[in-house]
Amino acid sequence: MMASSNPAVIQTCGLSKRYRKVTALSEATLTVPQGRISALIGPNGAGKTTLLRLLAGLARPTGGEVAVLGGAPRQDPAFLAEIGFVAQEIPLYRRLSAEDHIGVGAHLNPRWDAASVRQRLKGLNIPLDQTVGTLSGGQRAQVALSLTLAKRPRLLLLDEPVAALDPLARRQFLAHLAEAVAGGGLTVVLSSHLLADLERVCDHLILLAASRVQLCGDIDTVLAEHQVLVGPRKDTTAIEKAHTLVQATHTARQSTLLIRVGGPVVDPAWEAADVGLEELVLGYMGQHAGPAFSHLTSVGEDQ
Amino acid sequence: MTWLVWRQHRNQTYLAAAALAAFAVLVLITGRQMASQYHSALTSCAASHTCGNLANTLILGTPVLSLLVTLTVVVPCLLGVFWGGPLVAREFETGTSQFAWMQSITRSRWLAVKVGWALLAAAAWGGAVSALVTWWSSPVNALNHQNFQPGQFDIQGIVPVGYALFAVALGIAAGTLLRRTLPALAVTIGVFTFLRLVIGQDLRSHYLTAVTTPFSFLHAPPSPKGSYWLVSGGVVGPAGQVANSHAHGGPGVSFGGVPVPIDNMPSACRVLVFQSPLKFGSCLAAHGYRGFITYQPASRYWAFQGIETGIFVLLAAALIAVTAIAVTRRDA
Repeated sequence: MMASSNPAVIQTCGLSKRYRKVTALSEATLTVPQGRISALIGPNGAGKTTLLRLLAGLARPTGGEVAVLGGAPRQDPAFLAEIGFVAQEIPLYRRLSAEDHIGVGAHLNPRWDAASVRQRLKGLNIPLDQTVGTLSGGQRAQVALSLTLAKRPRLLLLDEPVAALDPLARRQFLAHLAEAVAGGGLTVVLSSHLLADLERVCDHLILLAASRVQLCGDIDTVLAEHQVLVGPRKDTTAIEKAHTLVQATHTARQSTLLIRVGGPVVDPAWEAADVGLEELVLGYMGQHAGPAFSHLTSVGEDQ
Repeated sequence: MTWLVWRQHRNQTYLAAAALAAFAVLVLITGRQMASQYHSALTSCAASHTCGNLANTLILGTPVLSLLVTLTVVVPCLLGVFWGGPLVAREFETGTSQFAWMQSITRSRWLAVKVGWALLAAAAWGGAVSALVTWWSSPVNALNHQNFQPGQFDIQGIVPVGYALFAVALGIAAGTLLRRTLPALAVTIGVFTFLRLVIGQDLRSHYLTAVTTPFSFLHAPPSPKGSYWLVSGGVVGPAGQVANSHAHGGPGVSFGGVPVPIDNMPSACRVLVFQSPLKFGSCLAAHGYRGFITYQPASRYWAFQGIETGIFVLLAAALIAVTAIAVTRRDA
């Protein structure tokens, strides 16, 4: 029912990417319907960048299938015209100005909205005639994002786009993104560590950890599928039989369980509560974190 | 795409054009002087019937200028280092290849336009420098007949264009495979120098079978017409055994430019070496020894230029093919 009105923009099946010894992405199966703003979340090294690069066609899968806008990502002008991608390093020609980049885009793309870039950058007080190398990291990010939007892509892939932006610019950018999606036809996948920002604009979630997809779906649906149980410390075998235990934390007397609900919770000893996005994400990431868990505190600081 | 290539490299192009223009001015001014010096010397020697000796008495150009012209042998390598090496490697280093590849343009087209202009510029600059050097050298060539000699052969005619194309292609390929500029530059310099030396020293003399002319030691060795290239020379003994100093490595003595290994010569003649070349020669002839020279005639100059240019153009084409495969097949 959803599928017919909202065709999948991204569909992967068992998608894998191995570099010589390292598996960057393993058996990723996921779907992103049209019109979603999908948050790509995961600890460092989980495979977020690899997934985005596979979707953009910058890297080739070593296993599995990937369909983007109905076909495999390929070196074809018609396909590339539909995809916008901003890499984490925000690559731009440092010795060229923003205006030069607008010229580059105009020469290399069939659709090109130069006016929108100028308008947006002027609104942000970013000089158009100065070489990009002299701009701040945040300004460069804005230039790159504006240039990518000027392609009028149907799918926008952003690798940590807001990392270089200050909180205000971040909010403006995300609002702009939401606006562009509301205009219709645009689907976005953006990776970030800043959960609070993502929660504000995203309605879809892809959670990666240990190079595997842990969760994928509309945020509301995913949240409804999970619950937090709080109760006296005791054996959790019964719970694990009926539900999927994501994470369990124990104190001396009390246990807190994050579960993927498999049916009603019948044991009255457990007090069930709805789960928030952050709690959910941290629960899944904590499963695979180990010592790397420490970086999660930075997520909290940004609240 | 051409627009982007020009926008990225126009400053470099201006700089290279300025350097070429400065070199051209220098060469044109001194070249005119040299040509008139040569022609007036010809006129005066014709009056006194001493033109046969002109090559020994007339020195054209200044040593500094001759050195500068000889140094143009490094121009192809410089083009490879400054234009070829960074062309793709810089884009990988700064990530701008990802920016370009996410515009609505295929990687093969991106590469074709970049490489096409780089090779065109290499051919233009290599060709322009070579044309200037060839023109500048024409009185020297007419006087000294040296343009087939290693060193002169390498900076005149069309071979510098082949070298320039190869050097730039090598830089591009090394930069693409290594993905970093500095190592690519080192590889470009190393491989280019090595191949040029190997081909120039070991391969070039075998493009066409050299002509061998025997001579009697009673006379000076023969001097073929025009700008021939003396590849080797030596001695044939009475029993037909060939002795040349290359094969023996012992002490040798030059007989009019032909190396004679004295250890292998009859002892009766050896004592005469330092007394008189004439007596030494007569002694060798009396013992049944004959000399020979092996050379490439002047008429083959352009054939050799064509063959050597062809070799380097083919190598360049192979490198570009490797680059194209790497860019389109490998991950960004």
